[in-house]
Amino acid sequence: MISTNPFLILAEIVPPFLMQSFVILMGLLILVGTIMDIIHKKNVKYFFNNAKKAKLSATKTLSTGERISVISKTIASDIATTSELGAGKRRVAHVMGMYGTILFWVGSVVMIFFYTSPGSTTPAVWPIIWHVGAALTVLGGSWFWFFLRVDVYSEAQPWFRVIKADLFVLALIASSLFGLIWSYLQSLNLVGRYDDMVFLTLFIAANLVLFGGVYWSKFAHMFYKPGAALQKNLAEADGSRDNLPPEADAPEQFGLGIKREEPKHY
Amino acid sequence: MSTFVYMTRCDGCGHCVDICPSDIMHIDETIRRAKNIEPNFCWECYSCVKACPNHAIDVRGYADFAPMGHSVRVRREEEKGTISWKIKFRNGTTKDFVSPITTKPWGKFIPKLAEGDKPNQGEINSQRLYTEPEGLNIDGELPSVPKETFKKGVYY
Amino acid sequence: MAKHKTHFEDCDVLVVGGGMAGTGAAFEARHWGRDLKIVCVEKANIDRSGAVAQGLYAINCYMGMQWGENQPEDHVRYARNDLMGMVREDLGYDMARHVDSTVHMFDEWGLPMMKNEKTGRYLREGKWQIMIHGESYKPIVAEAAKKSADKIYNRIMITHLLMDEEKENRVGGAVGFNMRTGDFHVFRAKTVIVAAGGASHIFKPRAVGEGMGRTWYAPWSNGSAYALPIAAGAKMTQMENRIVLCRFKDGYGPVGAYFLHLKTYTQNANGENYEKKWYEQTKELVGEYIDHHPTPTCLRNHAFIQETMAGGGPIHMVTTEAFQDPHLETVGWENFLGMTVGQAVVWASQNIDPKYTNPELTTSEPYVMGSHATCSGAWVSGPEDLSPPEYFWGYNRMLTIEGLFGAGDTVGGSAHKFSSGSFTEGRLAAKAAVKYIEDQKANDIKVSDKQCEDFKTAVYKPLENYTVGRNEITGGTVSPSYISPIQGLQRLQRIMDEYVGGIATNYMTNANMLKKGLELLKWLEEDLENVGAEDYHQLMRAWELKHRALTSQCVTEHTMFREETRWPGYYYRGDHMKLDDDNWHCLTVSRRDPKTGKFTLEKVPVYHIVDENEKKKEAS
Ligand SMILES: Cc1cc2nc3c(=O)[nH]c(=O)nc-3n(C[C@H](O)[C@H](O)[C@H](O)COP(=O)(O)OP(=O)(O)OC[C@H]3O[C@@H](n4cnc5c(N)ncnc54)[C@H](O)[C@@H]3O)c2cc1C
Ligand code: SF4
Ligand code: SF4
Repeated sequence: MISTNPFLILAEIVPPFLMQSFVILMGLLILVGTIMDIIHKKNVKYFFNNAKKAKLSATKTLSTGERISVISKTIASDIATTSELGAGKRRVAHVMGMYGTILFWVGSVVMIFFYTSPGSTTPAVWPIIWHVGAALTVLGGSWFWFFLRVDVYSEAQPWFRVIKADLFVLALIASSLFGLIWSYLQSLNLVGRYDDMVFLTLFIAANLVLFGGVYWSKFAHMFYKPGAALQKNLAEADGSRDNLPPEADAPEQFGLGIKREEPKHY
Repeated sequence: MSTFVYMTRCDGCGHCVDICPSDIMHIDETIRRAKNIEPNFCWECYSCVKACPNHAIDVRGYADFAPMGHSVRVRREEEKGTISWKIKFRNGTTKDFVSPITTKPWGKFIPKLAEGDKPNQGEINSQRLYTEPEGLNIDGELPSVPKETFKKGVYY
Repeated sequence: MAKHKTHFEDCDVLVVGGGMAGTGAAFEARHWGRDLKIVCVEKANIDRSGAVAQGLYAINCYMGMQWGENQPEDHVRYARNDLMGMVREDLGYDMARHVDSTVHMFDEWGLPMMKNEKTGRYLREGKWQIMIHGESYKPIVAEAAKKSADKIYNRIMITHLLMDEEKENRVGGAVGFNMRTGDFHVFRAKTVIVAAGGASHIFKPRAVGEGMGRTWYAPWSNGSAYALPIAAGAKMTQMENRIVLCRFKDGYGPVGAYFLHLKTYTQNANGENYEKKWYEQTKELVGEYIDHHPTPTCLRNHAFIQETMAGGGPIHMVTTEAFQDPHLETVGWENFLGMTVGQAVVWASQNIDPKYTNPELTTSEPYVMGSHATCSGAWVSGPEDLSPPEYFWGYNRMLTIEGLFGAGDTVGGSAHKFSSGSFTEGRLAAKAAVKYIEDQKANDIKVSDKQCEDFKTAVYKPLENYTVGRNEITGGTVSPSYISPIQGLQRLQRIMDEYVGGIATNYMTNANMLKKGLELLKWLEEDLENVGAEDYHQLMRAWELKHRALTSQCVTEHTMFREETRWPGYYYRGDHMKLDDDNWHCLTVSRRDPKTGKFTLEKVPVYHIVDENEKKKEAS
């Protein structure tokens, strides 16, 4: 099942160009939502103003080589492995969800644009990527949603409490979950049943909420966060460091004190 | 005062929520990041600032009497046993300070009394506490005052 | 609101409050009671809770007996002198003789103590104080408590003490709620040690906006240490002995290291040493107390207040000389960074560099506490070998309720304990509590489910008030049927400020004002049945307010009872402006009847167990 292209089977009833238009529409929704967010909140203006102000307290100017080095390290570590989350469950869950989503989306685009013409053969790797990506997203996202959300973990809010901040992660999990279920039911080829259609509709709906809700959800943060990480590492390198004192010049000999415990004391 | 949280630095880890003695660091419902919900009960104790792994929390002096443009930031490094401060005045003057916060590995020299030597029979009736009288580093026993010297009423 | 779960916990020693005293109690209890169940319940997170959250820069109570620096009787004389004679000398001596072992343990555990390079001894800041790098003071002592106690409960606020239904006047435990999960917790205990810290925000603070947070004592010191025993019917003492502090303006940063180590001094706006000006006037008020050395703190405050009222302000501390020395400059700044960071923030914001500017001082609003320079708190038994018969009833640090012990700010009559003394007092209370259990005094305690259920209804009532009352209005904070915790707090602060000797009247009050204050406090008590809390955080604030209101009533009753001005500079009785040793050289003790809510007050003799003259040091 996981090596079958579900969109190819769908192409028997839905013309490929409709599916492709849907994907393009989702892309446009991301663009519009993010631009509306930027215009309304003026957050990019703030970001660059702040970077300029911080430069004033820089103790040294970075050469192009140093800049490239910092940027590469940021991309490789902070962005690719979400290193700001430290060592622990939150980072693992986030990395799972992040790569799962990337694989899921890339797989979707590739299969819908290149392998939905009738009679085409899809190389097994793409459906596998698609299904694995969806599964990773569901696992990482659910782990986060049920157990690791800070308002549940540190504030003891009940797990079933849904707040505005949950819009993005719930829509993401829903989209991957419904996609998987749809693909599974469709592959069973049940005669006279429409269960797979139900889940296809839910899959489409989840995507509409996910991409349509960009203006109201935390979706756009996935663009802001890398920018913030870059700015932070560049500030650390050029000495401005956001007015923080430098790290102390002393050996690490005392072990961890109160930081050895998880933030859940109640 | 107050503490505030930098949007670009907070990732919702919960350490500040967990440590605040005033119970005023909580998670915002729209962006799932920390914020100070009751600045007028913030003591500027810096416990949250020190606890944040991303240095996402900073302090702006109380609006009642602190003009803007200042900054007092800290870096508490448990493994090195140091705390570093950077003070920046409104007029740009900066001051840096570094102090120790421990002389021994955390917790290593704090005894687990359940595993220590039991007190002697009858010692509970004495006035001695754990480690005494040796822990006082004096010659002889715990000081006391003979009851015959007690007085009552106006003394001087 | 959803139905709240109830959790029951049975234990032998229940420590309420995980501050300096609470950690000391939890730690020591394990040594004496190896098989006992020791539980500590803390309102916040024990690693950074209480008055020591941001750390301390000095340990203000250390004898130094090992080097012959001070003896316990010297400390008793010092505390007695500072409180104009009104202390429990037996409690003071008992604490002072043990405090050295506590400080040596802290050194063992890793607390960085500054050393005098020449002598190798702990670096003295003043006669009683030694300097430390105490930013992590609280995490270190909290770890000691964690290693000893069976369980530390965090984020649970204890609201009431349980009473034994089997035997009259015996404690049965405590109840409280968890401000994260919302659950109700019942702790049935053989002994309870109350170590819940002092009381701030009883009087209106000088800053009323965001600046309300910058009180000198922590804003989370809500007087539970007083309200819990008062509500249970225990006797309290010296509650009129509130403290007013002379500190740096706005930030209330500490001045101890400045005066003692940096050797700075004060002057008025015209550059005069103003204290001498008020000598005669003070002598008329208090007689020969003004001639004592060192000058009692309240009398120095008095000179400050009089000078400011006479137009000599603002009063400054001259730091420009001392700060020229870079070592002293570092000490001056780190003094704040390790103890009151807010002061550094204030100076940074106002461009105050003590090298070039002499910073301003102010007198604070009044606070009520038992471990600092004043000694308001519960009336407790002293140790057997030191206490006169009137001060001893079986177990050290036990209140007038059987099985209920106190330590730290909770205990009245033992002043100048500070952090090390509070920890020591916790140790003393813990040992006595274990002895109490071993003497079989805590057998057959009966706490019925009904008592717990009644408390549970009372504890969650503010949530009920809000949810139901909210239906009456469209929105906003104004409601005719409930008040929010902050509204109640501001009303309480205004009453105390205007009638019981706050900054509004320059600490002046009289019998007429106090009567009016009591009347207004009674109405506030009735209205507090209608305090409304939106969520568990607000519920915690509501109970903090209720504890503060009860403490305030006790303070006002005591202030009314003592018909003299014993501590000019802390407060004044306009109708009895002199110190009256003939009639009032005694302690005041009160008891609130739990059934009627009425206070009865009495005078209790002060026993001076230490003589006046200092023993001559033995020639070595
Ligand atoms: C600004 C400042 C500077 C000081 N400087 C010094 C100094 O330099 N040197 C020195 O030795 N001492 C100093 N002290 C004094 C010292 O900090 C106190 O004497 C000491 O902390 C008091 O100990 P405690 O245990 O009684 O109270 P706290 O340490 O305040 O602890 C009380 C605890 O009880 C908890 N609690 C309160 N209510 C409840 C409830 N209802 N249920 C459960 N838990 C509750 C609180 O959360 C808290 O943890 C200073 C104090 C302050 C405020
Ligand atoms: S500074 Fe202290 S009181 Fe203020 S939010 Fe942080 S931890 Fe809480
Ligand atoms: S500790 Fe820092 S990163 Fe974590 S929730 Fe608080 S502000 Fe955010």
